[in-house]
Amino acid sequence: MSKEQSEPELHDTLEQAQSKQDARMGGGVDDRFNSKLRQAFGSTPFILTKFDKFMNWVRGNSMFMLLFGIACCSIEMMHTYATKHDLDRFGAGVPRASPRQADVIIVPGTIVSKFGPRLKRVYDQMPEPKFVVSMGSCTISGGPFQEGYNVVKGAEEIIPCDIHVPGCPPRPEALIYGVLKLQEGIRAGESAPVTVKPYELEQFGDLDDDALVRKLASEIDEDDLVMRYNWADSP
Amino acid sequence: MTLAETISSALGLEGAVGQFVGGFIGAAIVGTFILANAAVAGPWAKRKITAAFTDRIAVDKLGPLGIGIIIPDAVRLISKELIVPEGVDRPAWDIAPLLIASSAILGFAVIPMGQVGPVEFQLADPEVGLAFVFAVASIASVGLVMAGYASNNKYSFLGGLRAVAQNLAYEIPLILTGISVVIFAGTLQLSGIVDAQQQTLVDLGPVGIPAWFAIVNPFAFILFLAANMAEVGRNPFDIPEAPTEIVAGFQTEYSSVYFVLIYLGEFVHIFLGGAIIATIFLGGPSGPGPASIGLLWFLVKIWGVFLLTQWARSALPRVRIDQLIEIGWKGMLVLSFANLVLTAIIVGVIA
Amino acid sequence: MSLEAPEPELDVGETPDGDLDYDELADLLGEHVLDREEHVNAEGFVIRPDSVETVLATLKEEAGFDHLSCLTAQQYGDRYESIYHLKKYDDPTQELSVVVPTASEEPVSGSAAGVFDTAIWHEREAYDLVGIEYEDNPDLRRILLPETWQGHPLSNDYNQDQPQIVPLREHANPMEKRTQVPDRSDTMFINIGPHHPATHGVLHLETVLDGEQVVDVDPDIGYLHRCEEQMCEQGTYRHQIMPYPDRWDYISAGMLNEWSYARAAEDLADIDVPEYAQVIRTMAAEMSRIAAHMLAIGTFALDIYGDFTAIFMYSITDREKLQNLLEDLSGQRLMFNYFRLGGVAWDLPEPREQYFQKVRDFCEYMPGRLEEYHNLLTSNELFQMRVLDTGILPPEEARSYGCTGPVARGSGIDYDLRRDDPYGYYDELEWDVITDDGCDNFARALVRLKEMEQSARIIEQCVDVLEDWPEDEREIQSNVPRTLKPDHDKEIYRAVEAAKGELGIYIRSDGTDRPGRFKIRSPAFCNLQSLEVMAEGEYIPDMVAALGSLDIVLGEVDR
Repeated sequence: MSKEQSEPELHDTLEQAQSKQDARMGGGVDDRFNSKLRQAFGSTPFILTKFDKFMNWVRGNSMFMLLFGIACCSIEMMHTYATKHDLDRFGAGVPRASPRQADVIIVPGTIVSKFGPRLKRVYDQMPEPKFVVSMGSCTISGGPFQEGYNVVKGAEEIIPCDIHVPGCPPRPEALIYGVLKLQEGIRAGESAPVTVKPYELEQFGDLDDDALVRKLASEIDEDDLVMRYNWADSP
Repeated sequence: MTLAETISSALGLEGAVGQFVGGFIGAAIVGTFILANAAVAGPWAKRKITAAFTDRIAVDKLGPLGIGIIIPDAVRLISKELIVPEGVDRPAWDIAPLLIASSAILGFAVIPMGQVGPVEFQLADPEVGLAFVFAVASIASVGLVMAGYASNNKYSFLGGLRAVAQNLAYEIPLILTGISVVIFAGTLQLSGIVDAQQQTLVDLGPVGIPAWFAIVNPFAFILFLAANMAEVGRNPFDIPEAPTEIVAGFQTEYSSVYFVLIYLGEFVHIFLGGAIIATIFLGGPSGPGPASIGLLWFLVKIWGVFLLTQWARSALPRVRIDQLIEIGWKGMLVLSFANLVLTAIIVGVIA
Repeated sequence: MSLEAPEPELDVGETPDGDLDYDELADLLGEHVLDREEHVNAEGFVIRPDSVETVLATLKEEAGFDHLSCLTAQQYGDRYESIYHLKKYDDPTQELSVVVPTASEEPVSGSAAGVFDTAIWHEREAYDLVGIEYEDNPDLRRILLPETWQGHPLSNDYNQDQPQIVPLREHANPMEKRTQVPDRSDTMFINIGPHHPATHGVLHLETVLDGEQVVDVDPDIGYLHRCEEQMCEQGTYRHQIMPYPDRWDYISAGMLNEWSYARAAEDLADIDVPEYAQVIRTMAAEMSRIAAHMLAIGTFALDIYGDFTAIFMYSITDREKLQNLLEDLSGQRLMFNYFRLGGVAWDLPEPREQYFQKVRDFCEYMPGRLEEYHNLLTSNELFQMRVLDTGILPPEEARSYGCTGPVARGSGIDYDLRRDDPYGYYDELEWDVITDDGCDNFARALVRLKEMEQSARIIEQCVDVLEDWPEDEREIQSNVPRTLKPDHDKEIYRAVEAAKGELGIYIRSDGTDRPGRFKIRSPAFCNLQSLEVMAEGEYIPDMVAALGSLDIVLGEVDR
């Protein structure tokens, strides 16, 4: 394939991809995988696009999973890893206990207020590029527990999710399908836009000074990390 | 002809320059070869073997039997973001993975790996070969402690401490058992030890049973195998890593390249353990057929030991740290001394 | 020894035929009893808040009520109320409720922590969710919600929309003040969890270590507090509550959990269940039990063998077989939603013969499979070395902590509601209650393995019964009104033997079609509390093993 022939086509796809991203995140390019080298080149030369394709293929074919269980869905997740369904067939079945060595976090269960900051922390501890599979209704919207006083209305309030697998809980086949779709997406160069989530970890001192903050001022240090839940704004 | 000589003569170099260049390229070839073995073992063979034990298939999408997974796995791991956590003890934290990986590879410098055609795969054959292997192999435990201590993580710290306690407890029985072989062979030189195992012990018509030390002294062999399991940190002695207890032990905080180095180092270490066992107990590269396929037999033996470690991993519980120390100091140390004394008496009486 | 069975010694208030004489009990307590209430399951004695400890101590020592099954706290329009549900380990049908009303303005009550250790956590939960303060509770702080939470969510004036702030403190040692370790210079504080491979979910163990030894451990729960009680209070009796029990103990134990709600609600609303449905229920429940125990054994092996063990995979393989059977029956792999008030959702799948054959095949396959587990686990010497005599839970402590299920039976307490407080079809079938006097991690694993065998026995007998059932008498549901409205202020506490132990439900009806108060007595919650006894002084790996042998499910612990 010569450079002249392939260039317009590549630009097209790039533009398409960008417009798709823009549509989803409303401005700003996702530069999660952007390197200094690419910035130095300014545009995207041929050799880097080939390299990109190769890296996407690599990331889409092999992933280490974080050993991470929350609730009901983790039982089906275990079944997905285990004998009958064997997720490892698709190169996605090595569990790592340490988030530093994992690529994909499957979030299998309800996120509650107390766990929100921890989920954020575990996600932050994973090295880029990282991907999130949100498994089950609870991680999508809070599921059957959405009306609970303590339940975060979906994992996406806290971390960006690449793919949602609906079900309560999803069958192992559904999870495998989800992981395959994720791999397909990665191979095509898509990834979830990193946007600011409604619930972020902040230092307590940075919060707006309202009644609640004043009330807690004696219990929490200024530089403690906190997560503020505005339940009234939740979906 | 050794590998270094072959290379230098092929390049037409002589003297010190020839020795240096030949040795250098030879080392590169051996190192690459060993790393290639570890690369096959780590992302692919380990998964396939575990899968076979647990009625699964494991990777099967890329290439025959999924062996193509090695490329994406390796590239992806290396291309990940390298996270340097806050508060790590910087030079120590960076050196540790290098130390773990390099110490294991260094051991292969003196291992006689047999022949491929006329070329003898052994980089050096010093008179203190066995002592050298043990010495460099145990540098890895320094790496483990450094990793554990420098990571600024309590789990890593616990893992590092466990690694040190474990290696201290098992290095001594390991070496003492190794010495019993030295008494038999009368030399520390690894090629000498291999040669000492070449005679036929019993002739059973067409099949001759060789005088491998594993057959001459099976007690020492089993002792050495067990101590070696602890040395390389595999079940039932995988407590420095112990994922269900201390997350990932000393390697909890490592990501990307450093993690790859530690991961590779572990597998190279298993292979080095296998190589030592093959050399001093299983007749090194000897086996049926001509001597020119010696490397093949050597590979079969080290992969056999690898298989054993994976088998143990699927089937054996992990012992507790205090039990491990107890087995080491109260059990194996005593047994290995008994073995040593017994060997010395037998050799003394026969000789 | 004489050949005649000795006359069992009767506790105060016990009649020779095993019933309770409440008048005698009231006499025993004398002036402490202010009033007597009639609950569906037992009588309730109303007492003053400051006499809680005296009354419970008297009842425990003189009347033999050694099992504080549950504590329900609730707010009425004019008062708060704590109900201590008492039982006897010897005979759980002898029940008594102790009702402690406290004033709305100042909800302060005495504590039962001095009498029952298990009361500490129960009272913490009541404080956390309802807002009753228990004086003399040694450790009264929030348990399920973060410590900075504002308000008490199950109290009447709670505003669910108010913002909340949750801190993330990692290195601060929250046990600094609480731990009893005298010299802390040589100890290390370590957080195990909430994301840790050994905690079976999102449990957080605040641990103080001396070298490798555990000096002090405090389970921090609530990372999966999904407001199950609130959810159930918002649902209608007839249909909307039943899906939730599946999600308490989500390890395929759904059938057992559904039965707990079904039993309580059916007794509350006087619904009869056809015999045929009871047999199906029994069979389905025992399948659930095997599946749950399978996972318990598998994850226990995971904790001890490391995460590449074949045993875990084998147990998952066997669970798949069970899940197939359960899916054929209920249509779902995990969240069955199969029970209905007054019966089950539908009859056995057609063709019946084929289904029976599949179930029989499984029951025949089980013993051989269990033998393999015994070979891999219990007769492995390394395994024995690891688990024998570790994680000791003496029977007295187990009783005091309200332990039930395999945990109690592994400590030699012969307590199984299926036999002692029969429901369903269990009393028509032949099976044994497994106990073991080992009191250690090994005993608990062994009890589970043997219980699976008994469950398979029960299933086989159920299949026999179902096969011979006349075709025109297969009534799967009794006639239940579309809208259930039990009488106003009717209260009931009923328990069943779930996979982890005694799963109890307290319902107070307020005359509408939704419960006024719905309280879940979770066995894992009580069992987990005893971890301290098992783990302190042991090594980290033993604590991990003890946790594995407790077999907790965070969904049930936190609800």
